[in-house]
Amino acid sequence: MIWNGCKSLLVIGLAVVMVVPLAQSVLLSFMSTLPRDDMVVGTFTLLNYRNLFNDANLVGSLWTSLTYVVLNILICLAAGLPAAYAISRFSFVGDRHFLLMLLVFRITPPVVLSLPVFLLFAKLNLLNNPIGIALVHCLFNVPVTIWILENFISSVPKEFDETAFLDGYSTPVFFIKYLLPIIAPGIAVAAFFCFIFSWVEVVLARILTSTGGKPISMAIESLLGFQTDVGLVMAVTILSLLPGVLLIFFVRNHISKGFQLRI
Amino acid sequence: MPARHRGNGAVIKQHRNTAWWLVFPAVSLLFLVGLVPLIAVINYSFFDIFTLDSRFWVGAEWYAALVGAPEFYEALLRSLLFTTLVLVIQFPLGVAIALLIPRNTFAKGMMLIILALPLVVPWNMIPGIWLGFVNADYGLLGQIFKLVGWNFDYKFRAFHTWILIIAMDTWHWVGLVSILAHSSLSIIPETYYLAAKIDGARTWAVFRYIQLPKLYGVLTMALILRVMDSMMIYTEAFGINAGGPDDATSFLSLELGEDIAAFDYGPAAARSVLYLLIVLLSAWFLQLLSRKQDRRSL
Repeated sequence: MIWNGCKSLLVIGLAVVMVVPLAQSVLLSFMSTLPRDDMVVGTFTLLNYRNLFNDANLVGSLWTSLTYVVLNILICLAAGLPAAYAISRFSFVGDRHFLLMLLVFRITPPVVLSLPVFLLFAKLNLLNNPIGIALVHCLFNVPVTIWILENFISSVPKEFDETAFLDGYSTPVFFIKYLLPIIAPGIAVAAFFCFIFSWVEVVLARILTSTGGKPISMAIESLLGFQTDVGLVMAVTILSLLPGVLLIFFVRNHISKGFQLRI
Repeated sequence: MPARHRGNGAVIKQHRNTAWWLVFPAVSLLFLVGLVPLIAVINYSFFDIFTLDSRFWVGAEWYAALVGAPEFYEALLRSLLFTTLVLVIQFPLGVAIALLIPRNTFAKGMMLIILALPLVVPWNMIPGIWLGFVNADYGLLGQIFKLVGWNFDYKFRAFHTWILIIAMDTWHWVGLVSILAHSSLSIIPETYYLAAKIDGARTWAVFRYIQLPKLYGVLTMALILRVMDSMMIYTEAFGINAGGPDDATSFLSLELGEDIAAFDYGPAAARSVLYLLIVLLSAWFLQLLSRKQDRRSL
């Protein structure tokens, strides 16, 4: 009984520790942090959020970020689903090398590749373009997608696909009409992890948008300067968290289901 | 590849080389965004590059300069120390948190959301959040430090910078370890706990013989992610104190970042290749470790 009480206290304490640094940012985002004629520093105000939505650059960069993240999720799922299926169901020449390759690309630090990626994408004419970022983020998100989906596909009995193929369905139709619905939670989890890894990445996103089309994380950096409006920066930070928080909310019961490495 | 065993019995995989067609899109995508830049970076590392059109073969000169300089080893040691601290703190803590996550659906959902919160913050904003948090004038934590009379000075005292970076990194990543650990704990059947209770097993024994074995697989995964990400920590550490004071927090990738910012293509490329070798070596080692675990769990 006493142990249970302690446990609840610990859990609550932990939740507080995790939330407090962000709570500080939320507070600041509702405060006037620069000396202004009509407002004392520290006054509660919605001004930061108003400034944010009146700034076309900031709103535009939010859309840029959302665009490449969604594109990235779609590309990763399209390339990852067949590969995950292949690994789950078959053995083939080079399958272990393929798995090792996934691991290598997942852990290659982006900063190592940033320079050649910049040069390559300049040649492909994909600079300052959300498609470029969506493609380059596949580097770490395709492996993650394959690991997650493989886990979910392997828990589907083999007889399931055999029945579908006996019914005369072609492979693409099988994937879309049969496999997708049954592993829907897996798709959600994969999309969630792709989202967070792509949303938070800044090294590659920075070098690919050095002259324009900046994502939200870069737009914030341009706000930092001689006299930084901390309140505005925090408002942008909080806004940039919202899509992620929404996603977590939807997949919260599934994220604990599967994410295991296969090497 | 040997047949893998799952909870529901043995799975024997069919050998079929046409499965390559299914892997083909993923492989070509990874070749484009991974392999091509990798080859380019290896190529650059042997040249002195003024502009991309005028460059001179210098052989292994950059490598020799890099390996010959004490700065490289100092940065390597700092990164190793950082990774060690990260693992020693975040794994016990992460597993402990995973064990504490309530079973009640609502409370569990809330807890998972809170643990995942820091994971969705763009990396370059994390230092900003923490610098605001410890700011002596308006930060919640900074004001507490002031109240208790602790002169917390992350700008000029190396020890304090380290504390701040470790605390920030733990806050950022411990949720990932917990969520992954929780995922394997939640598939342990209730009957195991019941059997343990009948045997009169204590909490520690339950952890050691029922929960821990289930955690091995997923912890290897978490280990690989955490080792690699902490070895190459860049954005967050740079945002706190730009490697200072006096290079006390200048990790491997921060030095690389400086080369790239100065457009020193050649040296930056050589450094990249060297780091990549370190990463590959660690990956290979962790893979051996993971295969061993797999065999043990069969």
